Amino acid sequence: MNTSPSNRKANAFHAQAKNALNDATLKQALRSATDTFAERRSAAIAAVPDWEALREQARLVKDATVARLDHYIEQFADNAEQAGATVHWARDGKEACAIVQKIAEDNGATRLVKSKSMATEEIHLNKALAERALEPVETDLGEWIIQLAGETPSHIIVPAIHMTRDQVGELFVDKLGIPPSNDPKTLCAHARERLRSHFAQADLGISGVNFGVAETGSILILENEGNVRMTTTMPKVHVAVMGIERVIPRFKDLEVFLRLLPRSGTGQHLTTYQSILTGTDSAQDSANGQGPEQVHIVLLDNGRSKIAVDEKMRETLACIRCGACLNACPVYQTVGGHAYGTVYPGPIGAILTPQLAGMHEAKPLPFASSLCGACKDVCPVKIDIPSLLLELRQRAVEGTDHEPATKRSFFESMSWRMWSWFMRGPKRFRFASAMARLGQSMPLVHRLVPPMAAWHSTRELPRLAKRSFRNTYKGPSK
Amino acid sequence: MSSAREQILGTLRSQPGLKVPPLPDVMTSASSDATPIAERIAAFTAILNKLGAPVDVAPDMTAAATRITEVLAQHNASSLALSDADEVLAIAQTLPATIERIPHDAPRESLLRSHAGLSTAQWAIAETGTLALVSRHERHRLSTLLPDLHIALVPASRMLATLGDAFVRIGPNGAPDAPTITFITGPSRTADIELELIVGVHGPKALHVVIVADA
Ligand code: SF4
Repeated sequence: MNTSPSNRKANAFHAQAKNALNDATLKQALRSATDTFAERRSAAIAAVPDWEALREQARLVKDATVARLDHYIEQFADNAEQAGATVHWARDGKEACAIVQKIAEDNGATRLVKSKSMATEEIHLNKALAERALEPVETDLGEWIIQLAGETPSHIIVPAIHMTRDQVGELFVDKLGIPPSNDPKTLCAHARERLRSHFAQADLGISGVNFGVAETGSILILENEGNVRMTTTMPKVHVAVMGIERVIPRFKDLEVFLRLLPRSGTGQHLTTYQSILTGTDSAQDSANGQGPEQVHIVLLDNGRSKIAVDEKMRETLACIRCGACLNACPVYQTVGGHAYGTVYPGPIGAILTPQLAGMHEAKPLPFASSLCGACKDVCPVKIDIPSLLLELRQRAVEGTDHEPATKRSFFESMSWRMWSWFMRGPKRFRFASAMARLGQSMPLVHRLVPPMAAWHSTRELPRLAKRSFRNTYKGPSK
Repeated sequence: MSSAREQILGTLRSQPGLKVPPLPDVMTSASSDATPIAERIAAFTAILNKLGAPVDVAPDMTAAATRITEVLAQHNASSLALSDADEVLAIAQTLPATIERIPHDAPRESLLRSHAGLSTAQWAIAETGTLALVSRHERHRLSTLLPDLHIALVPASRMLATLGDAFVRIGPNGAPDAPTITFITGPSRTADIELELIVGVHGPKALHVVIVADA
């Protein structure tokens, strides 16, 4: 089996978006999926009278944590070790992959299973392990489907949201040799059977982490399918990969986040399962199959510590990866996750990717938004995504210490200078408006003359009124 | 070269002048209110029924055993994986001899092929229809996960009103009561193919709760 990482280049957003726009099946699937989630979310939060207070509290907790991330992550690491886990620190993805690989090799593990984790997608863990013939079997149904298809996830909660039942059916016929079917229930039954045998034989399980508790060293993982429970219970070694920003201070803070996350993500009051795991079980219980003998936690930085000390951007780290902003985003709803060409799609991806991977990897992304603010409204931790996008746009254009500025074309900077000159004098302004009215009456001008042509390829310019307000105010034309 | 730990912490400490907002007090839905148990059971039942999980109330252990036997028969289940809770071990004694009983520390193969699993729950949460299982009190990790059917026998007195009430109990003094705490709300499910709900993808295909009045 081979999972090819996305070979689509991040900066190809425009071309990929165009492809997606021409794919009618994809558009239909995205539309109904994102609509369904949005409706379920509204219904679920309507039943929670203190919803706004919960959001407020979650954000305050996150802000306080991110501001002292050094303290909380160290406390988490110490307490997790105290409870029997082994904690590893990884500066970047490469280091994290090497750590997981070494754990597998030290234990002679060759049959790996994995539950869904965005952090491991981010560091392309499967590809790194595959190079050592250690590629894990994905066990979340959606992840397994796209692993079989050799694709990458297109949604952070529903990875195979871009595939239809017919496509999944054909894939299973092709890869598993099942009799033809496009019935989700039948397909799911085949998956259960296949994946059971993987679980039964697995000697190492890899999971992500939704929340890590500083005070106790506990990790909490949410899911619906039961594959996380399998992955963290059946193999004798469990490796959890955790971004350092997943930490929250107190055990009792879990309650607030548990009340927010499933309702925001899938509109459930709670997901079917939560596993709260603290260190290792007793040796006797492990021997009786009640849990792994070893628990390893890999703390992943990969750019997060830099965001934490960037005062304007650090609220990015409050994100609890619920996916609500994807479902609410008109751009995501239309082009889907793959167009972004990066691991994290949608509004959160547009702010996270340029910061984690560097602006050169993802320059078009902060611009792939209409700044409508729907993401901010639904975000359970009230991240002001539009403002962060604007800040990133500015940095993309002006450059930072680490990133070069975008060069404006001669035409563009000339146009802006002329615009500013015309706007600054009433006579000049009237002259410019008159010219614009004239230009508008010659329909092809704005479509053909750069730089207006590029802007016009995807938008309509609002038409100017025949008469200006000023002239109308002065009285009827004679 | 400094270690990864030092370097990450070093970056995090590289801007000491940044604002540090205070950590707010814990916010909790823990209720001191005494909603009658019957009301909590009704709310719990309504939510689980919506998720496709039946809930019965039995007046005593004998009635509970009868109900469990019926449910096993309905599912054509003739083997039962047991947790190590006292109530489970006691009631298992009273089930028909035709039902094979598989202890919690049996070899993995027999657990994998058992048709049903029986556990209690340390707590139940009315607000969300959730069972909370705490490993220190009950070894539950495999018997509630591997079989197609999970039956939970829950003493009525353990029915709490809110998630916050459960957190107070599973985390006395702010620390978890056991290495493994599992929350279960309904049967295993997925919506990964065209968002169509399918029950029983990896975990149990069915969950059946029997609430038993306390002696
Ligand atoms: S940014 Fe907010 S809405 Fe988007 S995934 Fe993160 S927490 Fe959810």
